[in-house]
Amino acid sequence: MLALEMEGLTKYYGRAKGIVDVSLGVNEGEIFGFIGPNGAGKTTTIRCLLGLIYPTKGSASVLGRRVIPGGGPIYEQVGYLPSEVRFYPELSGREILEYAASFYRGVERAWVDSLAQRLQFDPSKPVRKYSTGNRKKLGIIQALLHRPRLVVLDEPTSGLDPIIRLELFHLLQELNQAGTTVFFSTHVLEEVDRICARVGVIKEGRLVQVSPIDELPGRKMRLVTLRLAGGADPGVALAGWNPVPVEGKPGFYQLAVESPVNHIVARLATLDLEELKITDPSVEELFLALYEPTREGGAKG
Amino acid sequence: MIQSNVFLRELRLGRRSLIIWTGVVVLFVAIYLGFFPIMQDPDMAKVVEAYPEAIKQVFNLTGVMFTDVNLYHAGIVLPYILLLTSIFALMLAGSLVSRDADLGTAEFLYTKPVTRNQLLASKVSAFLVMLTLLWAITFVTSTIVGFMAAGNQYRMGLQLPVHLAGLVATVAAGGLAFALAPFINQVQGTTYLGVGVGLGFFLLHALSGLSARLENLRYLTLYYYADFRGAATGEPFIAGMAALLAVFLAGTGLGFLFLNRKEFTG
Repeated sequence: MLALEMEGLTKYYGRAKGIVDVSLGVNEGEIFGFIGPNGAGKTTTIRCLLGLIYPTKGSASVLGRRVIPGGGPIYEQVGYLPSEVRFYPELSGREILEYAASFYRGVERAWVDSLAQRLQFDPSKPVRKYSTGNRKKLGIIQALLHRPRLVVLDEPTSGLDPIIRLELFHLLQELNQAGTTVFFSTHVLEEVDRICARVGVIKEGRLVQVSPIDELPGRKMRLVTLRLAGGADPGVALAGWNPVPVEGKPGFYQLAVESPVNHIVARLATLDLEELKITDPSVEELFLALYEPTREGGAKG
Repeated sequence: MIQSNVFLRELRLGRRSLIIWTGVVVLFVAIYLGFFPIMQDPDMAKVVEAYPEAIKQVFNLTGVMFTDVNLYHAGIVLPYILLLTSIFALMLAGSLVSRDADLGTAEFLYTKPVTRNQLLASKVSAFLVMLTLLWAITFVTSTIVGFMAAGNQYRMGLQLPVHLAGLVATVAAGGLAFALAPFINQVQGTTYLGVGVGLGFFLLHALSGLSARLENLRYLTLYYYADFRGAATGEPFIAGMAALLAVFLAGTGLGFLFLNRKEFTG
């Protein structure tokens, strides 16, 4: 069963384009990364799914039920964390959590307390006194307190320190192992690389790629950074691989090549090398490649 | 239909402004109605009689008002109370809906497993409870101060329909705000709405008494349909109250319609 389904989802704000013809299915039980830079259409897509805004065209379903105007019981098993977390400033964190829990049946106090403890969140303070990070923690707890079947998280890690960020990933992985579907929007690609099995890439409102993370274009590329003796230019020796100088590091060159590593090493062994580093590209670099497919440095080995 | 958690939360979020506005209204009633014995002074009547006719018309100042505490309260004190309470009702109803768009809490509240109709029904219920409380306290205060100022001349039985008309008129003002609030994304906007429309009604009411040519303006105000003076003479304007209730129901109905179409874009 699909936890989320979008069919030709299109949203225009007047004449301005929000998203165009987004069709996507997220399987129940997977952690799906929805990636794109700021303004690409991630939040617009999520708001359409949550019924906060209405699509100009197309349709969406959540846990098998079609999203219709006016909201309602469809969201009983959905937890949502908006990108900007805002609550009633005069209430305390505890009151917000109690209010959120009152919309669902069977919320266990012990579970809510354990979430607060794991995220190192003190619910006793008024919301207006929380930092951005603490408001984000409160948002995460209220999204998870009813053990939803589907969690939709819009930029969940912004404002969190690295330790809490790591704890959040562990928490999401545990929930996922227990059957929760996670739809995770971010522009921090390292996060997607860490926990998502499949990703969708949105660019200027259009979904440009949906694939397992290992099958993203360029995933099999190797990034080679090298320096020849005396800082010589390897352009001639490595013709066809298009090495480019590394900015701020005199004599260093970088190239991306899609080839078995022993072939790369064999060719590089003919050179008088001073420095050599061969790495997998980060998802960020893959993402940039997807956005700028014509940039220099990409080559088939 | 009504979500008790939302209803109770809205009551709690609105209690501070309810307390403040109730305090202002109670103070106003206490002072203005408490002045009645002074107003009965023949010298005061002479002063009022000396006012230009237009001023007397605008402010409902007629001699009989100063000899009958029931007419004085209904004709002079309560129009000002309705001015205050209608401003409050417009602001309250408007903020109940627009606050979530303003604070950014819409993404929290409107993604919970309740329909927008249920949310608005709960907010409207909280509004009705708060307004009823306000007018109940106004009635009790009026009764106490009225008896202190005029003894048994103050007739609670006559004043009950007068205050009921005030409540219905105030609720009607709230209905207008419920219709408009989905288009307002800032609580500050509801303040402008409250002051603008509330004062607008009062000014139209005053202007309609200035000349026969402006008389029809009274049909555009809450004051005509509430008809406090009629109620204070034992003849409440039942059709007027029905019209006010219809305004509330129509306004709130439009509010449901518009809220369901509203998009929360953050």
